[in-house]
Amino acid sequence: MLPTGVQSLKYTQESAVLRTTRSRAWLVVLACALVGYPAVAGPYMLGVFSHMFITLMAVYGLYVTVGMAGQINVAQSAFVGVGAFAAAKLSGYGLPFFIVIPLAALMAGLTSILFALPAARVKGFYLALTTLAAQVVFPIIILALPMEWLGGLVGMPVEPIRFGTLTLGAPIHFYYFTLALAALLTVAAFNLGRSRFGRAMLAVRDNDVVAEVMGVPVFRIKVMSFFVGSLFAGVAGACTAYFLQFVTVSSFTLFASVWYLGMLIVGGAHSPLGAILGVVFITLLQETLHDVANTLMQSGASGGLLFALTSIVLGGCILIALIFEPRGLAHRWAVLRTTFQLWPFPRN
Amino acid sequence: MSGVAHERTVLEADSLSLRFGAIHALRSVSLRVDEGQIHAVIGPNGAGKSSLLNCLSGFYRPQAGSVRFCSKDISGLKPHRRAALGIGRTFQGIQTYSSMTARENILSGFHARMRTGFIGGLCYWGAVRHEEETFTAKAEAIIGFLELEEMRHAVVGDMPYGIRKRVDLGRALALEPKVLIMDEPMAGMSTEEKGDLARFILDIREGLKIPVVLVEHDMEVVMAISDRVTVVDFGEVIASGTPAEVSDNPRVIAAYLGGAKS
Ligand SMILES: Nc1ncnc2c1ncn2[C@@H]1O[C@H](COP(=O)(O)OP(=O)(O)OP(=O)(O)O)[C@@H](O)[C@H]1O
Ligand SMILES: [Mg+2]
Repeated sequence: MLPTGVQSLKYTQESAVLRTTRSRAWLVVLACALVGYPAVAGPYMLGVFSHMFITLMAVYGLYVTVGMAGQINVAQSAFVGVGAFAAAKLSGYGLPFFIVIPLAALMAGLTSILFALPAARVKGFYLALTTLAAQVVFPIIILALPMEWLGGLVGMPVEPIRFGTLTLGAPIHFYYFTLALAALLTVAAFNLGRSRFGRAMLAVRDNDVVAEVMGVPVFRIKVMSFFVGSLFAGVAGACTAYFLQFVTVSSFTLFASVWYLGMLIVGGAHSPLGAILGVVFITLLQETLHDVANTLMQSGASGGLLFALTSIVLGGCILIALIFEPRGLAHRWAVLRTTFQLWPFPRN
Repeated sequence: MSGVAHERTVLEADSLSLRFGAIHALRSVSLRVDEGQIHAVIGPNGAGKSSLLNCLSGFYRPQAGSVRFCSKDISGLKPHRRAALGIGRTFQGIQTYSSMTARENILSGFHARMRTGFIGGLCYWGAVRHEEETFTAKAEAIIGFLELEEMRHAVVGDMPYGIRKRVDLGRALALEPKVLIMDEPMAGMSTEEKGDLARFILDIREGLKIPVVLVEHDMEVVMAISDRVTVVDFGEVIASGTPAEVSDNPRVIAAYLGGAKS
């Protein structure tokens, strides 16, 4: 729904992400808020936000593979892991971050192709199992490789990012670094939806039998959807490596993969906005629950019990979100916006 | 030179045989579509009409026989390669991309004609924008042709059946086809919608000069608009010729009456 008076002189203006002055103004407000946030936030919250931006990158990747192309992927965390280990190794050779990050993305992408080649031949349940294999094999391979290569069970230290004489170490540095990268990937994720490749993925998701007859090379597009989704994962992995300055296999679990999927589904798999809302909603929920649990712990409650309770409450909130908006928060948002714009007239 | 020297053959199926286990869907079926023709394929339910079309567009692989397109053997080509060569196709039932808008459905049909890869898609630089602009203008021409202007930004999943069939046709036209294959485009349509569609099909042949292979059950429409009719029954061609020739053929009459009895 657009307000009246918005006109397009070119067709591509119609597919622009921000079409009205008001939506552009809101973006500026949001950008200012994010840039100004470190002025009021402590180092802990800056860390939480950096982590949230990195998670968002990985979930954008899932938006591509799962949301756009409709290919289930329960191994996103493994592909993030490949990016992280690639970044750790490459930074060890003294390569600068602007070379390390693209190479890490490429490594993750190429690894995903290895699994996508068999995965793209099967559907649904079998596809989920094939990608599950990627997740299971990932730690096994890292642990089986010689210690000197990727650190085995111990893990690997990561050389920090250097900008000339400045070494990125403080939380505020990472905050801005991950914010900038997340912003870049946000633009890329939105772009994809209005491009030839994006439409091909949607066609494959909606009806892959017909897509093939309509000139879309379905197998290739499925494999590419894994590749591109894992490029995002690789960037997230490289950022994780720089952020933690240490990588171990234990950070890249099936559990994390499932969380990524959960965030995408809660937010809405059919738009990058869904990825954003899902990641923000679940991260903030987790943080709030941590806070509450910490306060209760100080007043003498048992730690084990609280941990179990927070998990239950978190799961409950997700369930409620899904029951009330199975199409995701992004859909709810779109509905609210239309209602607001049309007020006082009813929608439809 | 076989009789019709002035007409060029666009699409030709030669002795196609297709089996699904014990079922013979096609037994040595041949079909020739010449330039400028509307070629109807008719037959009772389960006769093998859709199977024949699926062999032409490459979705089914016949066990024997070959398919030639513009005098080139395409029997070994995958469906998307055939589409890129110019074999357009609409489908029986509803087979549009339901989550996309009408315009996006049509734009997706240009896939084989467009060049932008995934990197261009991610970065959306000037050349990509330019290509989008060019092809959106082409899509708009199709939207105008099919009178879908009101619906261009509506999501196809929410549209009524008749309109979706039109979007399906628009997507096939986006392939810039040299031949258009349509499987029961009018099934389930009202008389008025059928009239509209028949007009579009005639326009496609006259205006766009695209020959059409048409599977259709509505005999009135078939007899009114087609130049040639091929009748299939139990996977075999039982008659082929002009509408008048075919409708007088005793085997055709028998097949149809037999079909009606059972
Ligand atoms: N994929 C398939 N697997 C098994 N059998 C099939 C398949 N496709 C078609 N058949 C069989 O082949 C025969 C011809 O089917 P086809 O769909 O081509 O008929 P049709 O002439 O299009 O009929 P209708 O008018 O009902 O659309 C039928 O007996 C059908 O059951
Ligand atoms: Mg059929």
